[in-house]
This record gives sequence, C-alpha cells and structure tokens, in this order.
Amino acid sequence: MRRVVVVAAAATGVSLFAGAAVLLTGEDAPEAARTARTAPSPGDPLTPGEISRAGTIATGPSQEHMKAGRVELLYVERDDDKAEDDRRAEAYLYDYADDSLIVRTVDLGDNKIVRETRGKGVQPPPSRREETTAAELLLAHPKLGRGVRRAYANAAGRELRSAADLGLRGLIYSQPGGPCATHRCVRLFVRLPDGKHLDTSRIVIDLSAKKVHTLEW
Amino acid sequence: MFLQLALAVFVAAAGSVTPLASGAASAERPCGSPYLVDQELPSGARWQLCWEMRTIEGLTLNRVTYVPKGSPAVSVLRSAALAQIHVPYDSGEPRYHDIGSLGSAAIPLTDADCPGGERRKQVVCVTTRPRGHAYLKDGFGDPDLRRSKQGRELVVLSAYQVGWYTYIAEFVFGDDGSITPRVGATGSLAGTTTAPKHGWPIGVGSRHFEESHSHNVFWRMDFDIQGASRDVVEQYDFAGNKTKKRALKRTVLRRETKAVNQRMRWWRVVDPKVRNTDRHPVSWEINNSDSAQYRGPSDEAFTRADLYVTQYRSCERLATYNVAPRCGKSVDQYAGRERVKDPVIWVNVGYHHVARDEDADPMPVHWQGFRITPRDVTANNPH
Repeated sequence: MRRVVVVAAAATGVSLFAGAAVLLTGEDAPEAARTARTAPSPGDPLTPGEISRAGTIATGPSQEHMKAGRVELLYVERDDDKAEDDRRAEAYLYDYADDSLIVRTVDLGDNKIVRETRGKGVQPPPSRREETTAAELLLAHPKLGRGVRRAYANAAGRELRSAADLGLRGLIYSQPGGPCATHRCVRLFVRLPDGKHLDTSRIVIDLSAKKVHTLEW
Repeated sequence: MFLQLALAVFVAAAGSVTPLASGAASAERPCGSPYLVDQELPSGARWQLCWEMRTIEGLTLNRVTYVPKGSPAVSVLRSAALAQIHVPYDSGEPRYHDIGSLGSAAIPLTDADCPGGERRKQVVCVTTRPRGHAYLKDGFGDPDLRRSKQGRELVVLSAYQVGWYTYIAEFVFGDDGSITPRVGATGSLAGTTTAPKHGWPIGVGSRHFEESHSHNVFWRMDFDIQGASRDVVEQYDFAGNKTKKRALKRTVLRRETKAVNQRMRWWRVVDPKVRNTDRHPVSWEINNSDSAQYRGPSDEAFTRADLYVTQYRSCERLATYNVAPRCGKSVDQYAGRERVKDPVIWVNVGYHHVARDEDADPMPVHWQGFRITPRDVTANNPH
C-alpha cells in the first residue's frame, strides 16, 4: 500500500516529497484514498495529499535553488493559527547558501501561497533527509568516518554499506560565537545494530559549510 | 466572528446528548475519525478532544472539552503539546534540546503498549485505566450512607525515540475533571563517563561514573475556557510563616509574566463570565509543585521560571529553539510586558536524574509532570 502512495505522488510530479512519503504508515494509504473523496474536518491533520500539494505549491518559487541543491524542503506542518478558519499548511524550506529559513503558508482552498516569512538564525528540527546528509558528511570525514565504519563492522559483523544502515536521530546544535551561530548544524545520535549508540556528543555536523566540527570541553 | 461561531457550534454540539462522534454533520465536528477522542468514563464524566501528530511537537491535543456528569460541556484547552525537553548534563556539557522532529521519532506502539485501549495510526494510544479511590466516606455503621468509589482516567499517549532515551508523553484526563500532562523517560542511559562529582558509579566497582543530568520539560497549554475571550490568569499565595494564620493573597496577572514556584503557590485560569450553578466563575487550577527547578546560566534564561504567562501568538510554539522567523526564540522572550487578553501557559518541570544500578537496562521509567484541576467548574462533586 505504501508503494502505491509513493508512486502516485511521483506521478503527479512531487517526487520532491519522498521524504514526507517515507513517514507514511501503512494505515495512511487507505486514508489517502478516502480523504480524496471526503474533505477533512477542520481540526484533522493534513492528509498525505494535502502535504504533497502544499509542498508543490510552496516550493514553486524555489525551483531553481532546489535544483542547484541550495534550498531544501524540510517538511510541511498544518498551520494551527486559531485566528484562521481556512485550512492552511506551512512549508519549511531552508536556504543553505544564505542560511535563512523560509516558511511559506499555503491556503489549501485556493492553492496559493498566502504568506512568506524568512529569517536567519532560526533553526527548526532537522528533517529525515538532513539526518542522512549529516551521516554522509560524518562518514566522509577521514578520521571520524573510519571510526564509525569500524564500530559498525564490530557491532554488525559486516561492513557498513551506507548511512541507511545506521539508526539516526538529529538535533539542532547552536552555539553563540561559533560557526553554528548562523549555520545549520546538527548533532547526530547514531545507533548501531547491536543497540549501542556511538559517543557522538562532541561531534557537530555543519550542513551549511558541509563540515564536521569537534567540540572541546 | 466565524471562529466564534465555529466554537459555539462545537460547544453546543459537545453539550448536547448527541455524541460528537456519531450523528453530527462533518461541518460541526472539529475533527473526524481517527483523530477524535470522545470518552465517557464509568462515573459519567466525559472528555472530548482531537489529537494530531505534528512533525515538530509530536502529539498535540486540540479542542479539549470536559463534560461533567449532568452538566453542560465546558471547553478547557484549545491546544496542549510538548514545547521542549532541555537536557543539560552536570559537567556542563553536553546540553541537548531534545525536540527534534518528534512526529518522525514516534515509536509504533503495540497492543502491549496500549492495554485495553485503541491504537490510532499506530503511534497514539487511547486507553482508560484505574486511578485508585475517587472518594471514601464511612457510613458509620449504615451501609446506605457509606460512599466509596474507584476512579478511572483516560490516557492519550505517544512515545518517541530520541537517541538512547525513550520518552513516553502522556496526557491523563481524570474522571474528577483533572488533567495531568507528564513525560516518562526510559530506554537506556547515555553511558557517558564523568568525574565522580558529576555522576554516580554504575556497574561493578567504581570505574564508571554515569553522568547526572536534568530533563527540563516544557509544555505549551493554550487555555480557552468557553472560547478565547475573557480568560484571566491569577496567582495565589498564602501569607504567613512560622505563625498560626495563613492569609489568601490573589495576584491578577494582567500582563505577561515569568512566575516561579513557591510552597503552596498555585495559579488558575478563570473566565469570570462563565459561572457554575453556585454563580462562581469556572476556572482551572495549575499546580507545578514537583519540579526540581533547574536554573541554568544567563544564556539559558528560559530555565529561570517555572510558569510563563504569554499573550497568544500563533508563531510562539516551542519554549526554546522556536521554529518561526520574525518571532521570539524562546519562552523568556515571549513573556514581555504585553497585556494578556488570551493567555497561553508554559509550564517548566525539571527532573534531576542521578543514575543508579537499577537504571541499566532497560531503564525504569521516571516521570515528571504537573496537575491541572477544575476549580468551581461544577457546584459540587457531580460524580
């Protein structure tokens, strides 16, 4: 069922939302079919269809930058501003070149962007895709990458194939004064197949500079 | 105006005999299946709410309404969600802000995680459980006068995997009208070794000192008692120390406030125009007495109060690392001097975790939370 949704999303030209589609559970697929027929109630979460539609509309003005890898769609949230009656979505996009967050509010009735706010130094949580990117940067680091591969091989009894083999969870790291005051930086929790976590508390991955920083304390 | 109408429709629907879940037209329902929770407990108390698994905040409850037995429905909360879990370690580093995208960190639950309940979309459990005595009053030999009842509570919960920790986030709705938001930390210890003064020896001998740390959990609670208008926040203190007398002191918090805990201090959100049949205004009392009251350095000013009162702003969602451009970044910044017409309450509850041998492994759950109780919602105990 999940495959049906992903294929349907790709067919409508929203392959950009593979990240969102990954989050779908098995129960979402039949719901997607149902909500296509009946409108959601005002307080319902966004349907998978609404998420992809909002994403398509919100990324429209950033297509060039997205193709160049400069801007990424992080995720789409329901706009729950209680002063608004219309069903709206907020799409979070990040511009790594000038380190700004772009939030575009999409009116799902009119299929239009109704508000855009942009700011520096605002870091919403990392997306799933960013967690993978951060792990890839960590693996590409000469010394730390080797350490991760060795720890993985010891735990799994086989070589690491890609970042997808690791259990990943990312949190934003921000430090006044350092590069991570303005850059988009994440700390990763890395889980190995034996259930143990690597000690990554001093490692920070700078997604803006595509660098790995080691913290001293 | 439309919003007020919509709320009125919801409140009217909630107060009628017709359950929201059945019969009502979809336009009148705030949410549909499987997001609507409409639970009548054996005492006759009933709770209605909508849940949403948001990408950032995780489990969010909206439009929470309490229907005491034999009374009209009263809406309590427009929205309730976790707003941050700040985890500073005792050696000074690391210092985590554990709200990553909680929605994508939600753990699929099994039937064993949701005993007697219903799993919604795999990641939310809606169930009921006993809560011990609701009351006990002797009949002094007359069995007809003897009153004893066991209480029950509705629980809506999700669990998140954040690194080695599992957080269980519960919202508990009692059949006495109480609401208990709480978070339980379980999973595994971090395994971080530290100097003896910052930790506790775990495992054989005294080689490994597991680092002590705090979990400072923040909740954002947007109270709307019968709608967003008129709600007022009051703080109650009881003057007197080493004396026989205690005198009630009420402080009306008309402006945004950073409040700290004191012995016997509590707060309430009251709508002066909504009255019970005793003509007393309906209110919900907030008691945050179990916090470790962690106070961090000056660049963590958000840790320096236990309860914040702020004027509602849709962009103010997280207590730290807020996600909206052109908005405050943390709750201490939201709480300025603005006049409060529509209060949002932010509650900060700290737990200081000093590990012990029993914590490995899996780590037994340690809970932290606070209590919201009805004060004069009904003219007497309706249950």
